[in-house]
Amino acid sequence: MTTRILTTRMEEHPSDSNSMARYLDTGGYATLRHALASLSPEQVASEVKASNLRGRGGAGFPMGVKWGFLADSDPKYLVINADESEPGTFKDRQLLERDPHQLVEGIVLSSFALGIHRAFIYIRGEYPKAARRVQQAIEEAFEAGYLGADICGSGFSLDVSIHLGGGAYICGEETALLNSLEGRRGEPRLKPPFPAVAGLYSRPTIVNNVESLSNVPWIVANGGTAYSSIGPERSAGTRMFSLSGHVKKPGNYEIVMGMSWRDLIYGIGGGIRDGNELKTWIPGGASAPWLVPEHLDTPLTIDDVTALGTMLGSGAVVVMDQTTDVVAAAHSIVRFFAHESCGQCTPCREGTRWLQDILERILDGSGRPSDIDLLLDVSDNISPGLTWPPAMTTICPLGPSATAPIVSITKYFLDEVKAKIDGFEVAVG
Amino acid sequence: MADATRTAAENLVTITINGIDHSVRAGQRLITAAEGIGDYIPRFCHHDKLEPVGKCRMCLVEVEGPRGKQLVPSCTMIVNEGMVVDTESVVVKKAQEGVLEFLLINHPLDCSVCDKGGECPLQDQTYAHGPGESRFIETKRTFKKPIPISDVVLLDRERCVLCDRCVRVADDIAGDPLITFNERGNSTQILTFPNEPFSSYFSGNTVQVCPVGALTSVDYRFRARPWDLEKVSSVSLRDTMHSSVEIHTTRGKVVRVYGADNDHVNDGWLSDKDRFSFATLHSEDRVTTPLVRNGDSFDKISWPEAIEMVASRLGAFLGQEVGSIGGANSTNEEAYTLGKFMRSVVGTPHIDAQVGDGLKPHLAAAVTPRALIQDLESVSTVFVWGPDLKETLPVMYLRVRKAVRNGAKLVVIHPASTGLDSIATHVVRYRAGSGQDTLRKLASGEGELAGVAETLASGSVVTLFGRASIAEDPGLAESVAAYARGLDGPGLIPLLGRGNTFGALDMGLAPNLLPGRVSTSDEKGSSSIEDAWGLMPVGAGRDSMGMLAALRSGDMKALVLVGSDPVRDCPDPGLAVEALEAADFVVAFDAFLTDSSRLADLVLPAAVWGEVDGTVTNLEGRVQAVKRALPPRGQAQSIMGALSDIAFAMGADLKAFDVATVTKEISTLAPAYEGVTPDYLTFETDGTGVVVPMDGVAQPLGYIPTDMSVPIVTDRFTLHLAASLYDDGVTTRNAPSISGLVPKAVARLNPKDASLLAVSQDSVVTIADVLELPVAVDSTVVQGSVVVPFNHAATKGLSATAAVAVAAVRSEI
Amino acid sequence: MSGSMNRSVINHWSPENQRRAAAILASYPEDRSAVMPLLYLASREHRYVTEDAMKEVAALVGIAAAQVRSVASFYTMYKREPVGDYLISVCTSISCHLLGGDQVLAAAFSAAGVGNGETTEDGKISVERAECIGACGGAPAVQVNYELIEGITPDKIAALVAWLNDTQPNVVLTDEMQQLFGGQRSFDWGPTESVGASSAVPAFGPYGSASEGQ
Ligand SMILES: Cc1cc2nc3c(=O)[nH]c(=O)nc-3n(C[C@H](O)[C@H](O)[C@H](O)COP(=O)(O)O)c2cc1C
Ligand code: SF4
Ligand code: FES
Repeated sequence: MTTRILTTRMEEHPSDSNSMARYLDTGGYATLRHALASLSPEQVASEVKASNLRGRGGAGFPMGVKWGFLADSDPKYLVINADESEPGTFKDRQLLERDPHQLVEGIVLSSFALGIHRAFIYIRGEYPKAARRVQQAIEEAFEAGYLGADICGSGFSLDVSIHLGGGAYICGEETALLNSLEGRRGEPRLKPPFPAVAGLYSRPTIVNNVESLSNVPWIVANGGTAYSSIGPERSAGTRMFSLSGHVKKPGNYEIVMGMSWRDLIYGIGGGIRDGNELKTWIPGGASAPWLVPEHLDTPLTIDDVTALGTMLGSGAVVVMDQTTDVVAAAHSIVRFFAHESCGQCTPCREGTRWLQDILERILDGSGRPSDIDLLLDVSDNISPGLTWPPAMTTICPLGPSATAPIVSITKYFLDEVKAKIDGFEVAVG
Repeated sequence: MADATRTAAENLVTITINGIDHSVRAGQRLITAAEGIGDYIPRFCHHDKLEPVGKCRMCLVEVEGPRGKQLVPSCTMIVNEGMVVDTESVVVKKAQEGVLEFLLINHPLDCSVCDKGGECPLQDQTYAHGPGESRFIETKRTFKKPIPISDVVLLDRERCVLCDRCVRVADDIAGDPLITFNERGNSTQILTFPNEPFSSYFSGNTVQVCPVGALTSVDYRFRARPWDLEKVSSVSLRDTMHSSVEIHTTRGKVVRVYGADNDHVNDGWLSDKDRFSFATLHSEDRVTTPLVRNGDSFDKISWPEAIEMVASRLGAFLGQEVGSIGGANSTNEEAYTLGKFMRSVVGTPHIDAQVGDGLKPHLAAAVTPRALIQDLESVSTVFVWGPDLKETLPVMYLRVRKAVRNGAKLVVIHPASTGLDSIATHVVRYRAGSGQDTLRKLASGEGELAGVAETLASGSVVTLFGRASIAEDPGLAESVAAYARGLDGPGLIPLLGRGNTFGALDMGLAPNLLPGRVSTSDEKGSSSIEDAWGLMPVGAGRDSMGMLAALRSGDMKALVLVGSDPVRDCPDPGLAVEALEAADFVVAFDAFLTDSSRLADLVLPAAVWGEVDGTVTNLEGRVQAVKRALPPRGQAQSIMGALSDIAFAMGADLKAFDVATVTKEISTLAPAYEGVTPDYLTFETDGTGVVVPMDGVAQPLGYIPTDMSVPIVTDRFTLHLAASLYDDGVTTRNAPSISGLVPKAVARLNPKDASLLAVSQDSVVTIADVLELPVAVDSTVVQGSVVVPFNHAATKGLSATAAVAVAAVRSEI
Repeated sequence: MSGSMNRSVINHWSPENQRRAAAILASYPEDRSAVMPLLYLASREHRYVTEDAMKEVAALVGIAAAQVRSVASFYTMYKREPVGDYLISVCTSISCHLLGGDQVLAAAFSAAGVGNGETTEDGKISVERAECIGACGGAPAVQVNYELIEGITPDKIAALVAWLNDTQPNVVLTDEMQQLFGGQRSFDWGPTESVGASSAVPAFGPYGSASEGQ
């Protein structure tokens, strides 16, 4: 039993799933025509609310609830978060490149539901191909009357355009994204106010992820309860998982949550390459604390994973086998966050770089026995208590994310870390 | 916004800090509320006068929330009823110490050579809680050591804690976003654009708000250590705002001036001229002894000789043959003494603090309804028709910017572009000289100005009015005031430039005003003053221009100049020179030899701002104290003392024994000033001063808007003399750090006029046949007018006439 | 704001880019939003974001040059130093790191004979370490002028450098390079495209793309 919502078209029509012709041919825009002709905005919104879809950008906030916060004052904006930059994540790229009309239809339906007439798709600059495909879809939709003034004769109008990022992971954080879209540095804003009250140009704004919005046509077509009845409670619907690392079959998989990690890694992912052993994996993108084989039989739901002190995040599963040098892996992740820190918060700006430097020293063979405590204490000064969900001394969770690999390697692989540090070799050895 | 703060002021909420309940003002930030009850939470990015950014994370405290205690920045949290706060928990202390350690890992340990050493929160907190030994063994981030980012400010990026204060001051407060964050993450740094210096009139404020030694001023660098400084609270006299300052001295010299918080006036901000021009005090060119003319040069003489000479020379004329010009840079006590001396000892009514560049005395001193500066924060519209605020009253410019940030609309009417244009709701530019015509259109509310009229008619308005340029008919400002009195709202604020002009007018330094804004034609009022003084000439006297004309024609014989330079500042420099040359006797009280005092027979060294105590009155009628931070330079004296001695030598007693006596006399004679003593100003008003009432002293002001527009003559241009903050005035010239900032003089012409004259950018034109200037083609200049800098070395000698001839200069072959 | 006076500052831009600049400005509710697209356009005009370019963009949107630089320097894709005709960005974030991204990067450095962020003397090739480029399923991955190649190896990247030097394509096409030098992909890319990048500016219609054969 495979339930597919988002990837049917690209699976069945690999050669042209992105084209307008194929989209129409497979029932595309029918939902939109129907909704504009016979549903009220409130009806569309209530289907989305009933779907219980939790945002796919990483935070997992229920989409319908967020929509409910949108302040009622014009103009208001819809911003589509296509900045996908969390290491391990590449699902939105596939949705953008392979089924852009599905997203466009989702955008029009959502804008109709929310009374919005202007939408921006913020695509990361490193995704030119995705931008080209979406641009083409937008142009085709304008041409066909699914975008622009008086869509399908309904009197509803919507303008959509693409804004390309400039190379900055932090712009995936919704308020940093809005600053970037306003032509500013991509620095996260203080909240409150939340975007739904004061977002783009200080106007009410909804920010949703590509995958979240791509589900909307199906939800409106089939009903919110049909969606919410798929998969376990509180983890409703299908979800795109990006599988990478040392698995035999990396790739994006649209699955119904509730299966075990074993099913995902060994079943869908085909197991570990070269007959190697699984050592550890990251369950939800570089920001997430890691899991180890003892967790293989835990169900893959938002709540179960949270109970293990980590998250599904952006759905990026990075698998590491026994050949992995966990200190080097942690260093790659910490370096990423240090490189991507926007720099406004002292603990993030200084702390992530310090963590990177200490790991570099350890990898160079000049670690000191006190470095393990130092790594943990510096981490603690960024994310006090090193608990889950993380406490923060920062504005946004980027800084605290950098502590996830530190916590993980010292928790599960302390001996391996110690073995890299001279003073310990004597003690252990 | 301002409204919200005001209503909130009455509302209190109860919050619990470290287990103790406190009642605090609602609507404020937690960090401020805690400070108010004596719990100082450390901070770097927080600043009371800037929007919160919550970036440094130093001020983290724990606040009870639905999910238990959470660390939050107290600088962004607004207090609310029942808030439970812990500012001392283990978690809080660890977080704060963590931030401190993070800030220190890349901070140089150069406190001993840092200007901020001794007054640096980073240094203080490190001593208080910092970890003893650094756990950071990596190499510190390095940058090129101090780089000058403007003529007055240096930047040391290694010391910077990236608190964003300077960026917010430059962008939000000053509107000069020239200093910005660059790069990101660990490489983030503050910088200016290459070859675009941080040239802002407000750059010094960034030095003052920088919590560490990253931004320092060229002036102060290595000059002093904080523990050697003596600090005196005073106000600036660089313009009529009277911004509150602290004067810092060491070993008999002023080394820096800081802005002090006075929300009524300056919000803590200063212009760079307020801040950096103290250097004039120590200028080599100060006049430090009495000087007597000897042919083309001066000889030094003693004070007793000088006093004897003034007394005998002035005593030899009929009272009516003597006049005085000046006093607008003096304290109220000095001005009062001058007026009393001229009227009751010399016996002349010819007294004027202005030099033909200001407003009619009764209009400036007593226009009603008079608005307060703080009213700008709550009105719906600010209406500016007067001088370019950014250039002439820069701190008022900041207040208008703040009003606009708070949501006020802004109407700017001016003959040329102004600093406020970019944030104005309506900008109206008119051909210099045709203001009455523009006013008539505005008043009629029809045609092209209908939208402007509508904005002014809806909601409450504060009108800031004055003369757009010295070349402009002073009657226009009066007509504008007459129009603006009809608008709803708190009323008007007159705009005048020179330091204490309003105080001088209130003290009676005007041909038709006596102390306390009593008109010379008010028999009852003047007789009570006459009773006190013993002698009083009858009726009104001549104004400055009248006196100069009378001196030239021989109708008057002698002149007392008090810190005044009519040759530079009056609309007709030629007349001023001829008048001073024709006079039998001219005595000048001055700190410098100016174009005017150079023509005097006797120059008396005057003590200036920073060297005298007293009171002063600003453009909203606020009386504040100025304080002496230094003894007068050399043999310089307050004119109060000198006039007393001269009067004594003439057989009279001014009873000006000391400042307090004179202040007391003012407070009995000038009803509005009742009870206003320096002690009262310092202690009873927290140094923020008191606004003297208008009621009962105001003249009935009858305004009749008349048609005075200048006919358009095709081969001539109407003249707009544009003031600039850094001009050729004595203050700028004698302050080395800002004297280089005077902009180059150009004649700005509309592109169409330029092509009619067959000139282009940088080609040279003659103006009024007396001077040559390079052309700047500028589409903001209205056709038919030419814009030329006022008080610039290159425009010396140009009369402020309504229209001038402009002609191209053919280049020689 | 975006009036004719400001337009005059880019009078020396190609007519094509002037037209694009005008269209970009017109497409946002507020001019300042156009800063990032205009920076790309300026990079296309000047080959990288020069100081002049920042001033031009500042004048076009009505902010200070210092503010434009503040924005430009925040992002990694606005190059403020001359960059080669072909910018090779090698990902070494976690998934690529696990599958040899660091070795690919080392091979790229040695094949081109440059270090991180450097450009060959002939101005042809620049190599940089990149953070995650969203091709984790096809790790290790690289981009040439932001056009993707997935499943690359140290050997293949050396061949790629040689190919770029030899053929010096006017436009780099992702499908062609993937065909020649790539391996395992994150997913099926669908139909091939004949549009690609002509410089180190993302090949996206409004400012950077060019068709094959141009
Ligand atoms: C550091 C950081 C990076 C993020 N990156 C992304 C991203 O690349 N894409 C995304 O959709 N959401 C990202 N998010 C989450 C967004 O802030 C926001 O929650 C999301 O776009 C909302 O959409 P959704 O409710 O549909 O998930 C990020 C959040 C943080 C804190
Ligand atoms: S945590 Fe880091 S990335 Fe997030 S706002 Fe603070 S400095 Fe920027
Ligand atoms: S003072 Fe609160 S974060 Fe800086």
